[in-house]
Amino acid sequence: MTNVDPQGSTKNGSGHPLRDAAVVIYATLFLLVLAIPQSLTNWLRDMRTTELQELALHPAEGLQSVSERAGLATAYRRSRNLFIALSGQQDSLTGSPDQ
Amino acid sequence: MLFPTIEFAVFFAVVFPITWLLNPYNTCKKLFLVAASYYFYAFWRPEFTLLLFASSLANYLVALLLGRLGDGRIRFAVLCLAVAANLGLLGYFKYYNFFAATLVNAIDSIGFRAEIGFIEVALPIAISFLTFHALSYIIDVYRREIKPSKSFLDILLYISFFPHLIAGPIVRAAKFLSQTATPRNPAEIRLGQSVFLILGGLFKKVIIANYLSTEFVDAIFHDPSNHSSLDLILGMYAYAMQIYCDFSAYTDIAIGIANLLGYEFPQNFNYPYRAVSVQDFWRRWHISLSSWLRDYLYLPLGGNRYGEFSTYKNIMITMVLGGLWHGASWNFLIWGALHGTALVGERIFGLTGSASAKPHSPIRTAFGWLLTLQFVCVTWVFFRASSIDASLDYFWTIFSGASWSTTVTPFVIVIFALGALSHIIPPRWFEMAQQRYDAASLPAKVLVPFAAIFLIAVAAPDGIAPFIYFQF
Repeated sequence: MTNVDPQGSTKNGSGHPLRDAAVVIYATLFLLVLAIPQSLTNWLRDMRTTELQELALHPAEGLQSVSERAGLATAYRRSRNLFIALSGQQDSLTGSPDQ
Repeated sequence: MLFPTIEFAVFFAVVFPITWLLNPYNTCKKLFLVAASYYFYAFWRPEFTLLLFASSLANYLVALLLGRLGDGRIRFAVLCLAVAANLGLLGYFKYYNFFAATLVNAIDSIGFRAEIGFIEVALPIAISFLTFHALSYIIDVYRREIKPSKSFLDILLYISFFPHLIAGPIVRAAKFLSQTATPRNPAEIRLGQSVFLILGGLFKKVIIANYLSTEFVDAIFHDPSNHSSLDLILGMYAYAMQIYCDFSAYTDIAIGIANLLGYEFPQNFNYPYRAVSVQDFWRRWHISLSSWLRDYLYLPLGGNRYGEFSTYKNIMITMVLGGLWHGASWNFLIWGALHGTALVGERIFGLTGSASAKPHSPIRTAFGWLLTLQFVCVTWVFFRASSIDASLDYFWTIFSGASWSTTVTPFVIVIFALGALSHIIPPRWFEMAQQRYDAASLPAKVLVPFAAIFLIAVAAPDGIAPFIYFQF
């Protein structure tokens, strides 16, 4: 987690470190978009409007809708609500899917 | 652009594949990385990219000149001018108003009136770091430790490379330029280490540093006189944890990201709060800065070569200037001077041993650790407080012992305890976890960062505060 000497660590165990790194990065991002879909759509809406963002918003909304229908987004909201209840924190991050 | 944001995730998702696709065409790759780094920097204020470019160009040309000149006064004069120009730039943006105000106050105090104009200009983000990178390059060329780079692109990339641009670690020119000469080898990617550094960094910044700041530390330092003595004591320790988690998080993420792009950065933190002396602390805290100050300031001043008194003087100069590097205020100067005084004191009383040197008994080591930790935490008050008056007010309230109630919540205690784990868990546990990660199947390698980031997002506060070291 921390205090790691970059020179002291072993190298990747797999024979394909670049392939593994690419899979880890993109699969993680994809899973996160599926699990917390509102994060991407909210971000795209909040940013200054450009054609690229407008273009990206439609697939992001599509993904959000798929995630909502499959119930994948529920896990985040439930976990977040549980965290709020346990910690007593204020929240403005959860809410309706189209927030 | 902050690391723990969607902007940066999108930015890196674009930069990562293009960098590796261009890897066989090294010049094209470097050109792309420079463009990406300038975009990263321009996200804050686009106009200061001109400053970044001008500094890179000037230092590139000076290094070429230093490479051509034979040893002698002219060469030394060129170096002095270049160092003065770099420090002048830093001084103009960062220190001019501080010194102008100090001068006005000094003249005013002896009964005269001075009219000195102040400048109203935004401080370019990361100017301290880019200045130290540039100085490292030209001084190493002057010392003939490295040859001047013929490639302007390499220098542009060295100074602007986005993982280290904003808050370090300070990478030496020799180390970085040796990595730009040829395409990077993908086999050098240490995936387990990079993933753990990035996840650990996100956890320390988003959860530990942010919650300690917003839930406890900010309120305490904003108005110390309205808090109890116990709150102020706890606030001191909480800030020590906050600044460690904040700053080490940034450099951990930077090291991890650089490694994913094929570049190696030096270690910047090594369990600093386990230090058993102040000297040991500076071998563990912001290692790239302390070694920079040692090599480019303390040793050129004479180091410990000219007797005890000269050594003490050199330590004090180094630490005071090191303190001032963090910001234009008397508080940073005092913070540096206190650390300098402690280092001198340790030399005088022969207390400089580090844990690895093992010359001392366990009791003496434990006492050294306890004393060092208290000293470091107490001096952080000067680092965090807004002024000397505020710092003194803080200590006055502690010693007045007005009240021993506390506003610390169980939530803050849990967050602090989680932060303390970063110093309690033995390093070999991290290494074992990384090795297991590297040996795991690909789906497991995906699930670990997904689950970790998911949990961080679940517990994240609303909004991410900028990293503390951005201001430096």
